[in-house]
Amino acid sequence: MSFFSGILNGLGEIWAHKLRSFLTMLCVMLGVVSMVVITGFVEGMFTSWSKNLAERGGLEKISTGNTEPPARQEALASLSKGLTLGDALQLQRALPASFHISPEYELRTTLFRRGKRDWVRMQGVTSAIMAINRYEVAKGRFFTELELRDSANVIVLGTWVANRLFERNENPVGQFVDINGQPFKVVGVFKHYELLFREWNTLRWKNDVAFIPITTGIKKVGRNEKLAWVNVQVDDVEKLGETVDTITNVLATRHNGIFDFKVSTSEGELASFAESKRNSVFFAGIIGGVTLLVSAIGIANLMLASINERVREIGIRKAIGATGRNIFSQFVVEAVALSLCGGLMGMAVSVGAINGLQAILPPDNAPALSGSALVVGFAFSVVAGVLAGVYPALQASKLDPITALRYE
Amino acid sequence: MEILRFENVCKRYPMGDGVVNALVDASFSIHEGDFVAILGPSGSGKSTLMHLLGFLDSPTEGGVFFEDRRLEDFSASQRARIRAEKIGFVFQAFNLLPRMTVFGNAKLPLAYHSHPPADANERVHRALALVGMANRAHHKPSELSGGQRQRVAIARALVNEPRIILADEPTGNLDSKTAATILELFEELNRQGRTIVLVTHDPKVAERTKRQIHVMDGRIARET
Repeated sequence: MSFFSGILNGLGEIWAHKLRSFLTMLCVMLGVVSMVVITGFVEGMFTSWSKNLAERGGLEKISTGNTEPPARQEALASLSKGLTLGDALQLQRALPASFHISPEYELRTTLFRRGKRDWVRMQGVTSAIMAINRYEVAKGRFFTELELRDSANVIVLGTWVANRLFERNENPVGQFVDINGQPFKVVGVFKHYELLFREWNTLRWKNDVAFIPITTGIKKVGRNEKLAWVNVQVDDVEKLGETVDTITNVLATRHNGIFDFKVSTSEGELASFAESKRNSVFFAGIIGGVTLLVSAIGIANLMLASINERVREIGIRKAIGATGRNIFSQFVVEAVALSLCGGLMGMAVSVGAINGLQAILPPDNAPALSGSALVVGFAFSVVAGVLAGVYPALQASKLDPITALRYE
Repeated sequence: MEILRFENVCKRYPMGDGVVNALVDASFSIHEGDFVAILGPSGSGKSTLMHLLGFLDSPTEGGVFFEDRRLEDFSASQRARIRAEKIGFVFQAFNLLPRMTVFGNAKLPLAYHSHPPADANERVHRALALVGMANRAHHKPSELSGGQRQRVAIARALVNEPRIILADEPTGNLDSKTAATILELFEELNRQGRTIVLVTHDPKVAERTKRQIHVMDGRIARET
């Protein structure tokens, strides 16, 4: 019997038992869908996480912040003033010029304008933050080096802050806002950031900012000169290790040996995320595998049932010349055709389900379509189908034609 | 020319403590152009004989020869090939596949040929025309009468142009009038030179053949 007529025969049998075939395909389909959707969720988590990481300076960023000194240095803590602008300047001298060094001074304060007030997280910064955190000015300009040196009263706003203080049709640039009774001139407004939409915008923190020159912040607004962060962005991830060492050395010297600072990179975050991704993929694989196993059992069960129903047919076919191998391939082809159709349906439904979930779910948690998951899910379903078809097909091929013909 | 030969063939089945002698010491041969009836009451061993003739079973003792070659020399799949290419089967219960059309049923043996003939469709049409069923090619068996179904089954047995046609009680499920037409068809096929072995319990059916082998209690009682 030719391969092609075997397939036609198998398809004919599938068509003849529509409900039974449909249920089998459903099993396979659900196996594929569950595998693709679960790995899609993992994939989606990883994608939105890595996008966020890039907006925060990427892997190349080294953050240095204040921390409590270790217990043995507690008595000596007053020897250090914590992170200062001087530290940042010293780092600038110690590190290559191609690195961005961004000292950041945190202020929580209220902005006033014509009876409107806005409680914001304001930061005293230098232009280095523009490069590290990828800020872009949409209207006006960022403050200049001269304004930084002069501790000028200038401010750059994020879109949310600007929208809260100004009317929709107003241009904030050139207008003034008050901080602690001092007028600050708005010189620029940042671009509006939106990675995903509405309340799920994972970049909304970039819209809720107000930047003033760091010198102005320390001298005119804040109460001390302790910086919140000194962020360094290296030009090559390879240099992370040595740069962390340099920063530690410089700061240890400047802080009189007091370790009241902590130097950290995103590598640790990346490693732990990669590990949790591996775990998730592993569990997704197990769940998908179990589902496919269930569908394989379903196929095997249906094939066995169909063989019992067709004992007489097998007897007739054998009597008029079918070999055991003919019968075997006929039933395997049926199982393969079923699982192929189920697998294809599963792929189609997976794409639909993922698109649907992307529309419904908060995009941070929405699954991403992963091509490899589709291929793996499909391949697994077909393999499961074949394996599930082999045993019943073997049973069918071994039937004795005399017994089979007597079977009623 | 001899097609099939039985030499002292015995068939025994173990049953409980003892052994059932389904066939004892059967010797006869079938030649080209023969029209033979194997006649006997139910339980006489004629079904066993039929299965042995059709290579569906192997003897416990003795030799079955097809075209002068011993049955034991053929592997299971070679026997299947011989069934597909050189033997035509007709059953009492017609045994058509219900989901296939008349055409598909008649074509079935050709699918199991080692080299399916290029003119397969013409052959099917010829066989259906021979049994007078050409105009029903696209019907399902359930749409046919018993006699018509048996004609399709005969067409299926003819389509591979077999050396021998084995018919097991072909008229058993038919009324006497229809049975007569089916027997006429067999007579006609034999007149055209086809070798036919007909298994029956009905002496009236056996009368229509050229030669009768009487089976009784597993033994060949006489040949006439």
